[in-house]
Amino acid sequence: MSPPGANGESTVGSDAPRQKGKANADTLKVGCIAWVIKDGQPRRAEILSIRDTKSGRQFYCNFDNFNKRLDEWVPVARIDFNQDVEWPNPEKEKQKDGKTKKAPAVSKKQPSKKAQKKVAKREQSVASEGQTPHPWAEFVESQPQVKTPAKTDDAEDKANASLEFGGTPGVGPDEMELDEDETPAERAKKERAQSFSREEEIEKLRTSGSMTQNPAEISRIRNISRVEFGRYILFPWYFSPYPEAFSQEDCMFICEFCLSYYGDLKSFSRHRQKCTLQHPPGNEIYRDDFVSFFEIDGRRQRTWCRNLCLLSKMFLDHKTLYYDVDPFLFYVMTTRDEHGNHLIGYFSKEKESTDGYNVACILTLPQYQRKGYGRLLIQFSYELSKIEGKLGSPEKPLSDLGLLSYRQYWSENIIEVLLQSSEREEKCTIEGIASALSMTTQDVEHTLQALKMQVYHKGEHKIVVPEKLIKQREKSKLKQKRIIEPDLIQWKPPVFTAASRTWGW
Amino acid sequence: MATRKVRYKKLSVKTPLPVLREDQIDPTEYESLTNESQIATGVEQAEENEYHLQAVLQGAGVAADKEIPVPPPEESTLSYDALYPQKFQQTCTYIRFSQTVEECIGCMYDMTEDDEAFLESYNKQRVALAQLSDDDFEKIMEVFEDTAYIKTPFAAVDQTVVAYDEMLHGLHDLDKSKIMPHAKEIYEFWKSRRQALGNRPLHPTLKYEMHQESDDMDPYVCFRRREVRLTRKTRQRDVQSAEKLKRLRKELEEGRQLVLASHSRELLKAEMLKTDRAIFEQRAQLKEHKIRLGIKTDDEDLINQKKRKAPDVPAVQRPPPPSQIRMPLRPDGRPTEADLAQLADRLAEKENELRADIEKKVQNHSDWNKAHVDLTRGPLSPVVGPRPDLSFRPAKTQYLMTPPASASSASLEEPMPMELDKPENHPPVFKFRGVAQDEKSMENPPVYRRRIGRLNRLWIDRRGLASPPGERSEEQSDQWKYDQSSDDEEDTPMYEVDPFDTRALKFRASVPLPPWMSRATVPNRQAALPLPPNMPPNLPPAQLAQLAQPPQQALPRPMSQGQPAL
Repeated sequence: MSPPGANGESTVGSDAPRQKGKANADTLKVGCIAWVIKDGQPRRAEILSIRDTKSGRQFYCNFDNFNKRLDEWVPVARIDFNQDVEWPNPEKEKQKDGKTKKAPAVSKKQPSKKAQKKVAKREQSVASEGQTPHPWAEFVESQPQVKTPAKTDDAEDKANASLEFGGTPGVGPDEMELDEDETPAERAKKERAQSFSREEEIEKLRTSGSMTQNPAEISRIRNISRVEFGRYILFPWYFSPYPEAFSQEDCMFICEFCLSYYGDLKSFSRHRQKCTLQHPPGNEIYRDDFVSFFEIDGRRQRTWCRNLCLLSKMFLDHKTLYYDVDPFLFYVMTTRDEHGNHLIGYFSKEKESTDGYNVACILTLPQYQRKGYGRLLIQFSYELSKIEGKLGSPEKPLSDLGLLSYRQYWSENIIEVLLQSSEREEKCTIEGIASALSMTTQDVEHTLQALKMQVYHKGEHKIVVPEKLIKQREKSKLKQKRIIEPDLIQWKPPVFTAASRTWGW
Repeated sequence: MATRKVRYKKLSVKTPLPVLREDQIDPTEYESLTNESQIATGVEQAEENEYHLQAVLQGAGVAADKEIPVPPPEESTLSYDALYPQKFQQTCTYIRFSQTVEECIGCMYDMTEDDEAFLESYNKQRVALAQLSDDDFEKIMEVFEDTAYIKTPFAAVDQTVVAYDEMLHGLHDLDKSKIMPHAKEIYEFWKSRRQALGNRPLHPTLKYEMHQESDDMDPYVCFRRREVRLTRKTRQRDVQSAEKLKRLRKELEEGRQLVLASHSRELLKAEMLKTDRAIFEQRAQLKEHKIRLGIKTDDEDLINQKKRKAPDVPAVQRPPPPSQIRMPLRPDGRPTEADLAQLADRLAEKENELRADIEKKVQNHSDWNKAHVDLTRGPLSPVVGPRPDLSFRPAKTQYLMTPPASASSASLEEPMPMELDKPENHPPVFKFRGVAQDEKSMENPPVYRRRIGRLNRLWIDRRGLASPPGERSEEQSDQWKYDQSSDDEEDTPMYEVDPFDTRALKFRASVPLPPWMSRATVPNRQAALPLPPNMPPNLPPAQLAQLAQPPQQALPRPMSQGQPAL
């Protein structure tokens, strides 16, 4: 069943056998799994929404084993109706996806009605994206085949993209309607299970202060199609809870400095005449000739931080905006020019993390991705941990891009430490590496194992640094990477009393 | 290697690991440790298998020749310089900034395209001077929106519209001459726009929590207030111990204050004493001078009676101290003891007065009754007089001479401790007290009376027997031996007694044998004596005999005090 090129199990649709049959553009409905052409290849895709545009009917597809950011509206022409379509399987809905542990809790009173409402809402919210053709389809098609990717030496640039971290496992289930023919008992049982886990989840959010994803909250369909931001037009990757009215708009305007959002150009330009902000509204704690860092208290700058979260949610799948920004500090990286300090990326950090996290969410805006900024953000987060005298780790789960960025940062730094001690012919402990880099020992072990450097030789544990990594290090040394100069950080760990953490005093 | 199954030593994070380059070790000799469990990537489980991620991870460590595709951003077509006209002045030092977004923006209402169209047509009807500027329009709209938000927070639900009159208050703060002519018309426009939007704020706002049930599922609801962290279960106990600590601290604080207060009191006292002394010395000098110079005035300035009196008056009137464990500190700082002593003195004084009075009266009475015998005063009391009571007869005892008991040699050798202690005072072993009565005892011989009471009970009354308890007669001089406390001996006290003392012998004879002894009829007592319980068996016979006696000897002592044996 697996499509060519897919190396994982299918994640779209259930493992349970489904009814199959031929379909056409009119009979295809939400929840069906069909074969859709993506990147010139047929892939399994789940239909999440359907809309009618002037150019014909379009289907919002989530592709098997592709990240949600690649979801898109596809015209009928790209759907292969010669293949059987898998129909939604109402009875099996709850075990669907294998990965799906939770389905959205549905009010017990009128589940079916509510579900219908939800569909209606979704379609309504989705309707807006259509008017502007998403450039992504063209982009993907224009990309070289994934199997023969472009050769580039930019090791460090490969993944300095957006990084994201979230908490609870289980990707949001599709918000499938409960079918009417489900027995009431079954439904009640399911609902109980759902609402229970839902409560647990909210409780977790409530007590842990985490900003991680709440799966049931995920709206699986992008609501904003286009964002004007500074000199760039951004195409959001994920849903973000901007006012619902904006999903009707072709384009949303966001002020580059105060991050306020506007639905029409007139009000945006009026705002721009009044807005005096030219840098993030906080204290600058780091400045070199390339970037600056600002520290912003979520409590003091509530509006700005909320705006930042809304903006970053468009590029972070596992971020949650369920709760307010008060318990977080935001470290914002900017680049300077004659107009001001332009936001490159940021990471947020709990004022006090019970789990020892030094990063909650971390993001490089798409227009600055693959340029090495992600590494600077990560390095800065560890420099702060170093000043605090703590070992830190990013909050989990990591996004795919986040994992790659972190792995790269970790491996480069660990190899640096290892080669130094190798030259001095010293032994080193995992703990030693961890404290030298302010990393947790788990992260060190994780990296050593991922790079296959931990070996067992003659009854002894050893670390072997592979040749290719040494070569890569020499190569990147020649490149003169930018790094954070710890001496330029003017920062003391902020102290918050218990009352201020709890009550915000 | 794949076949070799070695159980690895557990790798601790503290284990020092040798670091080698790949070329320093034969690659066939080692195997890399692959954990049984796959390395946790930290990525969402469901996303771990995503195609693009896996494609990159496959070549982990290799130059990043693979990328995860993302929707790429585009250059904006808008004129950046028009929208962002301000130039930024780079500061020399790090920026410190605490203004909020709202403070940086000013007027929060931004004119939309609809507003612009309306304002254009509105201004067309007016002369240039009476036209409304964009800024003023926004200010008015901001007032309307703010007032509506404050007065009708649930406008979207209950559809109430704030009346124009209520808006006026907010408008007063603005520049009246420019604003007021337009306000009413703008209000009508505002109202129509509000109603077109279902009475919602004109600017789209984020959805905040409104209704618990429906909010939880709504993905648009965000930035909920965070509830207070759960209080710990042990909170109740925490509160209690906090209370205790508070109380303790308070008490300690009070104690400290007390100490400080008494310290300052003592200092004041010392000061006073010094002053008194100084005064005294000055007076002494003054006196000398006076004498020397022959100044004769009344010596008022040498004494200070008035001051003496003042503290005495309250001392008398003070109520008796309440029964309290802790003595209250007197307000005048004088110790309480002095006060108490005075009270006792006064009581004693009164008592004495009273007694003197009574004695005087008694004296008067007896003077008055001189040469009269008043038998009526104590009609039942016996007539006082030296007349001896005839019914009592002096006891005349006669003792037969008894030879010493055939004591064993052991008991004769026995009195070792006595010799050690007080050989001189040691009373003679034999003493026939019944015969050799000394003069003193003859003066007032014991007398006895026999009478028969009810139910034919026989009573023996006795008189003249008791010797004053404080007086120690010679025969009682060995009492100290029984008085020794048992503290210095760890086991049962040993009473050293003269076994052949006549009185002891007599007394012993009168005591019935204890049951455990009654079987012993053999003449040689010590040999036949069965061991009393709890007696060490291997003692020499003499000590044994001594030990056997305590039950009897415990008794003679009180007797010897009160009365001689019959």
